[in-house]
Amino acid sequence: MANPWVAFLLVPLVKIVVILGVVILLAAYLSFFERKILAYMQIRIGPNRVGPRGWLQPIADALKLFVKEDILPSRAEKLVYMLGPVLVTAPALVVFSVIPFGTGFTLFGAQVTPYLTDVNIGILFILGVSSVGVYGIILGGWASNNKFSLMGGLRSAAQLVSYEVPMGFSVVAVLLMANSLSLVKIVEAQKSAGVWFVFPGLVAFFIYFVCGVAETNRNPFDLPEAESELVAGFHTEYSGMKFAFYFLAEYANMIVISSIATVLFLGGWLPPFPSWLAGVWASPVFTWIPPVIWNAGWFVVKVFAFLFVYIWFRGTFPRYRFDQLMALGWKVFIPVSLVNLVAVALGVLLIGGPR
Amino acid sequence: MGNLEAMKPFPDSEEMEISFGPQHPATHGVLRVMVKLDGERIVDAKPVIGYLHRGTEKIFERETYNGAIPHTDRMDYTAAATNNQGLVGAVEKMMGITVPPRAAYIRMILAELQRIASHTIWLGTHALDIGAQSPFFYTFEEREKILDLYEEYCGARLTLNAMRVGGQPYDLPEGWSGRCRTFIDQFPARIAEWERLLTTNRIWKLRTVGVGVISAENAVEWGLTGPPLRGSGVKWDIRKVFPYDHYDDIDFEIPIGGNGDTYDRYLVRMEEMRQSVRIVQQCLARLPEGPVMAKVPKVIKPPKGELYFSVEGPKGELGYYVVSEGGANPYRLHVRPACFINLQALPEMVRGQLVADLIAVIGTLDIVLGEIDR
Amino acid sequence: MSFWGFLASVLPLELAQGLSVTGRFFFKRKATIQYPEVKPVPKDRFRGMFGFSEERCIVCHSCAKACPIDIIHIADHFEEVEVEGKKRKKKVLDRYDIDVKRCMFCGLCEEACPTEPVAIWLTTKSYETAAYERNERLYFTKERLQSWDGVRAYPGVVTPAEGQMPGDPTGGSGEPER
Repeated sequence: MANPWVAFLLVPLVKIVVILGVVILLAAYLSFFERKILAYMQIRIGPNRVGPRGWLQPIADALKLFVKEDILPSRAEKLVYMLGPVLVTAPALVVFSVIPFGTGFTLFGAQVTPYLTDVNIGILFILGVSSVGVYGIILGGWASNNKFSLMGGLRSAAQLVSYEVPMGFSVVAVLLMANSLSLVKIVEAQKSAGVWFVFPGLVAFFIYFVCGVAETNRNPFDLPEAESELVAGFHTEYSGMKFAFYFLAEYANMIVISSIATVLFLGGWLPPFPSWLAGVWASPVFTWIPPVIWNAGWFVVKVFAFLFVYIWFRGTFPRYRFDQLMALGWKVFIPVSLVNLVAVALGVLLIGGPR
Repeated sequence: MGNLEAMKPFPDSEEMEISFGPQHPATHGVLRVMVKLDGERIVDAKPVIGYLHRGTEKIFERETYNGAIPHTDRMDYTAAATNNQGLVGAVEKMMGITVPPRAAYIRMILAELQRIASHTIWLGTHALDIGAQSPFFYTFEEREKILDLYEEYCGARLTLNAMRVGGQPYDLPEGWSGRCRTFIDQFPARIAEWERLLTTNRIWKLRTVGVGVISAENAVEWGLTGPPLRGSGVKWDIRKVFPYDHYDDIDFEIPIGGNGDTYDRYLVRMEEMRQSVRIVQQCLARLPEGPVMAKVPKVIKPPKGELYFSVEGPKGELGYYVVSEGGANPYRLHVRPACFINLQALPEMVRGQLVADLIAVIGTLDIVLGEIDR
Repeated sequence: MSFWGFLASVLPLELAQGLSVTGRFFFKRKATIQYPEVKPVPKDRFRGMFGFSEERCIVCHSCAKACPIDIIHIADHFEEVEVEGKKRKKKVLDRYDIDVKRCMFCGLCEEACPTEPVAIWLTTKSYETAAYERNERLYFTKERLQSWDGVRAYPGVVTPAEGQMPGDPTGGSGEPER
């Protein structure tokens, strides 16, 4: 790729379009999967009227939200009210720029990587950008001039700030094992270690996932939008496309959390037990699959497993109360993640992690 | 609830008044609670009722006694059979009619099925309020089977109108008791399933244990009845204390709780469902043959006088106070609704707790606005 | 706290138990009825839309009196008819209207009917009574009650105009109802 225009403008642009398209479509379809899976757990069928077996339901929903009246509460803080959904959605989508979906491959003679960029501080970038999202929630809740929204926004701010800490600590445990902040390097470290980090970092994995559920405001931590308490929480007053953006951001955030969990703990695009079962994965049963499909396939399977667990949680658990949520975050997860961090550090020191 | 001033995290913080309802996902219809909040903590809660007022008691005055029965269906619309049972019981007692044993047993079966149906709604909505979605659908599936049984017996599913003064309008259809037994026999397994989902669940326990506590003395003084009273440890059940129909022949227990919190009321109601299963099983086994209607005059005219008669509804004591002038219409027919009186204790139970607890307490009181507003 | 008690309080076993319950329901038979395509069949005693037979009606007004909300409107006049050579007065129905939009389907009118089989009955098993214009579509006159205009007859039920026997919702194919 001699031409710098192609290397620095065209290829990234194409990648951005592809990633954005896939993520937005996936987020829309995630709502469909959620409704279907929840319905099946609740002995119902779920949406099945639009298109064959309901497969066009997300499209219909999006169309409906497009044509819906966009209500602006008369005494709302107009600018902030409109800024809210943007501030929530943009970070959720930006994060996908550093998530690696597979290893590089050659296309038309050019080396292509199936991710937008590999920042050497990738995980910091993710933590930094994704915490901007809370501003959208709290500002949207405040600007709606609705007491329920305000309470939802406040809850969300407190919840996201407190759960970011143990989440960060559990991520640090992985960083210690991988010795790198780059997401690609973290996956490669798991390849060279021959084991997914979920096994040495089981506690960190558990804490990360639970905090991730809390970060995305999902059941059993869905207090900011707790339907039976706060009607719809921070987005009570939102309608039309603004509501759709909040919705999109929530589902995109779920995919983000699942993707990061996949990369950090489940070996990203690697098949299970990459070194133990190396013989199995190299057998002709699998080698006919093009590597890009093979890698992305494993990635998607793992992400979907996480998403399924998300939805499963939602179908099963009651909701925590606000003070209990805080107590869980500060009194359980932070100490446990700190102790875990020390334990992992000692382990890395004694056994000698990847250098 | 202790000194509220001392509990305030910021003594000079402003209080916020917020109106929960009448359109709110967790107020079970049209209850409106004016809540004074300090942050998330409830300083005061005041239920505002009347959004579903239909003047039922006034309507009773222009109805014949049998014509009043369909109106009772619409008071506590989740428990039509026990509503009917109370009214016909009051009029029969006034007129000195003895109901044929078969009719009395059919009434008990209907009433206990209704208790189960009402408690399944309570469990589903209560769990939904606390955030667990799925039990709502599981319980409604079971309730649907009960409604099918009702439809087969009297032709209606919700507003049954299934009892008349003097007995039952219909006999059981062919094969009904067999189908009822099939349902009743599989039901305890379903209760166990729901309990596996909730009873030991740590989140459920966190949300219910110690929430909305009311002591036994307070519960009696507020006039609570039904599960809210029994959850506080008072063994009071009209079916045992003033047995009507043939409840004194039936062997069943009254479950009571100890702490008077939401969790105990939950356990009490779960156990009550099991006891109802036992009652229905015994009734089906003993169901005598014979007529279902006593000899009653075509126009029902109770003698001049007044009388209070109450039955144990799913929500608590459901009483009817009938004043007759000797005519075909009651001079006054007052209802003692269980929900209305149980709701009074709401401010007492939630003061000093969090917003989320208000929702849990509304759920645990198992209110039906149709009965509160009438 | 014993070791096992501590372990049980740390490990979320009961949460896993809850997950197993919902997980099992995931594979269970679904309870959904696909309504417009699959229509639930009401039971025999189901109180659906009204049926009325003018031949059987003796114009006694019992149903109108029994109705708790007075939605049955009956008007009649006397006519001289010749029965077996004797002149007799007979009540003739002018108007038999049911304001179905206010009906609460309690079935007391059917119970009050002294004729055998009854002249008014609710067991038509028609429950699709929604209408766009309630004052016209849900106000049933004598003719409409008999022709069942707007009321979908249950399969196997013959409309009164075609000789349906009242009190026998199965149209003669099954057991009489009571």
